[in-house]
Amino acid sequence: MLTMLEEVVLLAVDERTGSLCSAREFTTAYALVGAVFFDLALARKIDTGTETIHVIDTAPTGNATLDRVLGEMAQRPDLTTVRQWIEQIFQHQKDLEGEALASLIAQGILRHEKSKLLWIIDIERFPLVEGRHQEHVKERLRRAILGDQIPDTRDIMLVSIAEPCRLLPSLLSEEELAARRERIRLLANLETISRKVSAAIVSLEAAMRSPMTRVV
Amino acid sequence: MIEVAEEMRSGWRVVAVRGRADAAAADHLESVLKTAVEANAKVAADFSALDYISSAGIRAVLQAARAAEGRQSEFAVCGLSPAAKKVFDMSGIQHVLRIHRELPC
Repeated sequence: MLTMLEEVVLLAVDERTGSLCSAREFTTAYALVGAVFFDLALARKIDTGTETIHVIDTAPTGNATLDRVLGEMAQRPDLTTVRQWIEQIFQHQKDLEGEALASLIAQGILRHEKSKLLWIIDIERFPLVEGRHQEHVKERLRRAILGDQIPDTRDIMLVSIAEPCRLLPSLLSEEELAARRERIRLLANLETISRKVSAAIVSLEAAMRSPMTRVV
Repeated sequence: MIEVAEEMRSGWRVVAVRGRADAAAADHLESVLKTAVEANAKVAADFSALDYISSAGIRAVLQAARAAEGRQSEFAVCGLSPAAKKVFDMSGIQHVLRIHRELPC
């Protein structure tokens, strides 16, 4: 089974071109930290309250990315809130997206292609080798959003990460998104981690806009 | 850790949960609630003696509600303690589940 981090990164791959939709924006980077927290929560390594996050089991999961984050969290008991940890991992992370891509390539789901644009600019693409994995993730997301039933835990988490990663417009039409906006908001709000990821993104966006406003 | 007591009351299976519904107790909580849902048409989870519920506990309750939905049985959460109510309110879970101030039976 793919990790939440791998599923979200797989969703960001354009099925026709193999290019990454996420473009490694900071919003995506924050959301990917959230995906790692969800993976650790599913593995029963961490748990969250309304504000706090804490490690409950330091035994390795066997996944290098998750174990690195878990190890870092175990060494910093002074950081107690979800927000603090989102920013801590965001600042010190190696490339979570790159690690997930490497894992998807190793599993034979993607392949890596490098080329040059105008002989100068490096272009990286990650075409799908095996399309059914991505289609499975997309179908679960569509079902979770377009249906009215309570989704599976993993699918609630997936919606709550795909939303701040801005991946939903590639899965659903504008009409579908508009009609299901309240449902998406409801599902994303269920999880403390995604509420804090969204708040961190809003706060960072506001901070980035602030100096620009003064210059203008 | 949680302690669970179950009884039948006016056609409802009442599952009273006491203690801390955190990650350590989440599997137990989900299993108890799902088992009740599979065997009864109406299940009320009484959380009046719940000291704490974490995200893992909320997920367990949601998945029990999902199981009830799949079987078209009734599932209600009742008598939330103040600590649990705060978590439920923040998550907006009341838009997904039936939550009663008191037991429906």
